Amino acid sequence: MTVALIGFMIVLVLVLVRLPIVFAMGLVGTFGFAYERGGSIFSERGLNAAMSMVGRQITDTAQDYGLSVIPLFILMGLFVNKGGLSRELYAVSNAFLGHMRGGLAMATVAACGGFSAICGSSLATAATMAKVAMPEMRRYGYSDSLSTASIAAGGTLGILIPPSVILVIYGIMTETSIGKLFIAGIIPGAIGILFYLFAVRWTVFRNPDSGPAGERSSWGERIRALRSVWAVLLLFFLVIGGLYGALDFEPLNLTFSPTEAAGMGATGAFLIALARGGLTLKSTFVTLKETAYTAASLFAVLIGAQIFSNFVNFAGLPEGLINLVTAYDVSPFVVMLMILGIYIVLGCVFESLSMLLLTVPIFFPLVISLGYDPVWFGIVVVVVTEISLITPPVGLNVFILRGVVGDVSTSTIFKGVTPFWISDIFRLMLIVLVPAVVLFLPNQM
Amino acid sequence: MERFLSLIHRISHIPAFTAATALFVLMIMTFCDVILRSVFNSPIEAATELTRILMAITVFSVLPIISSTERQIAVDLTDPIFDHFRISRIRDGLVHLASGVMLYWPILRIWALAERTREYGDVTEYLAIPQYLVGWFIAFATAITAVSMIFTGFLYLFSPKLLERSL
Repeated sequence: MTVALIGFMIVLVLVLVRLPIVFAMGLVGTFGFAYERGGSIFSERGLNAAMSMVGRQITDTAQDYGLSVIPLFILMGLFVNKGGLSRELYAVSNAFLGHMRGGLAMATVAACGGFSAICGSSLATAATMAKVAMPEMRRYGYSDSLSTASIAAGGTLGILIPPSVILVIYGIMTETSIGKLFIAGIIPGAIGILFYLFAVRWTVFRNPDSGPAGERSSWGERIRALRSVWAVLLLFFLVIGGLYGALDFEPLNLTFSPTEAAGMGATGAFLIALARGGLTLKSTFVTLKETAYTAASLFAVLIGAQIFSNFVNFAGLPEGLINLVTAYDVSPFVVMLMILGIYIVLGCVFESLSMLLLTVPIFFPLVISLGYDPVWFGIVVVVVTEISLITPPVGLNVFILRGVVGDVSTSTIFKGVTPFWISDIFRLMLIVLVPAVVLFLPNQM
Repeated sequence: MERFLSLIHRISHIPAFTAATALFVLMIMTFCDVILRSVFNSPIEAATELTRILMAITVFSVLPIISSTERQIAVDLTDPIFDHFRISRIRDGLVHLASGVMLYWPILRIWALAERTREYGDVTEYLAIPQYLVGWFIAFATAITAVSMIFTGFLYLFSPKLLERSL
């Protein structure tokens, strides 16, 4: 167990000097594995075994059928956005919510939730919605802190509401069903939207000037706005319904594996964007190319994480932790609270994916041995990661907003984010105390 | 040198185009597979093995590009410190060099694994595509990645201006 902890510290040092995560985890994982197998990091037998493991891990991950969901879901998000979805989603939410006090900020949260249902990344959701929602909120005299905060917080929903790249990576690392993880994200995601709406209401209750009411839309306008997003809504229900098994009836008989759902989603999004004239040959190529780049970097870190995880498991870190917990006779709930505490602290400095890759190999076996559900823990990890995206000093979504908007200071955004952050903590508590919130839907599958 | 870099830049369109094509084929194939299975009850039997191969092509074609253009996922927490002491460039150079060199051993092993599958004559289930071809491709792409990272590392250390222009 000591060896694994030393290895973990070395990885931390290496990533802090900016060695790409795949190389830091791969290097330590390889030599650590060699040490465990051969008794020294330079023993020939140990190194030989380690290199075999590394070679196989690279070849196998590259050809992992399940991993094809990653590029396909990324593609779906990018294609849909070419069809102008973000603007239309905002228009719909605005038509229904805009007339209330703080309504535009509420519309922003709702539109972020809608966009998350197509896009699997929090940073992309925040960046995209910032371009659409920020000018509107400025036009109606919303305070900078409320408008930026509602986008930064709303954007975090991207990794929880399916599809979610982070959930796929968690699923692959822990061999948990990706379909179940996706379905499990729906209710916590909806609760997230609801709590964020409360956070907006609370902000305008405290300071009515921060979010004046907009114009009321007539029902005719609302229905017109809805009509512009029907295709994308249909696509979402097709993808998620097929995954859930809800479309398995005559004459449809549609049930999808995650890969098939992603393929259907991506092709559907491609056709929608094509029909709306949002795609040229060149932009299609650029979209495919960017997706391949993102997928390749995700595959690379995943390979590194698997190599590291092999070492950590071989070195007996999970058993060591389990023995420690048994020896001190700590109740599982207290252990869970400690793990959540560690996540929130790590989240203050680490970016979401790195945090997930570094911690899941260590905590997952412990959590499962304590009798918790792997799907539930996946959602808990993602919700904690979402919180980290808006936690100072390194809340990445806040920096994204700062980058896109430009003339707002980071501290203004962090100040505005506070009520959203508190509502996130409430949501986390709800999920931890009432696991059924997460597990109800996947248990019906 | 500058001419050489612009040549590399132009050549880099080939792997990007390969990856984009593989990904597009993967997308359409998955769609057709689902439709053929649920409507006509005749799925594409080779879909699974083709998915595996197309994934490997998509990811490994662009690996050299993302590795030498700062697209590998890294933690940038300490950037201000390195910037303050003006050693970011040296750090980037060394990181690229070290990463590139590190890949030498995995490449040998991937190659050896591919050779073994060739000796065994392993082929895919439906289309009988030789497995070693994929292994060769992965080894080859990883080797290009290593070379391009080492090259980028040297540029960082000895000719940063040239690198800036070519990125």
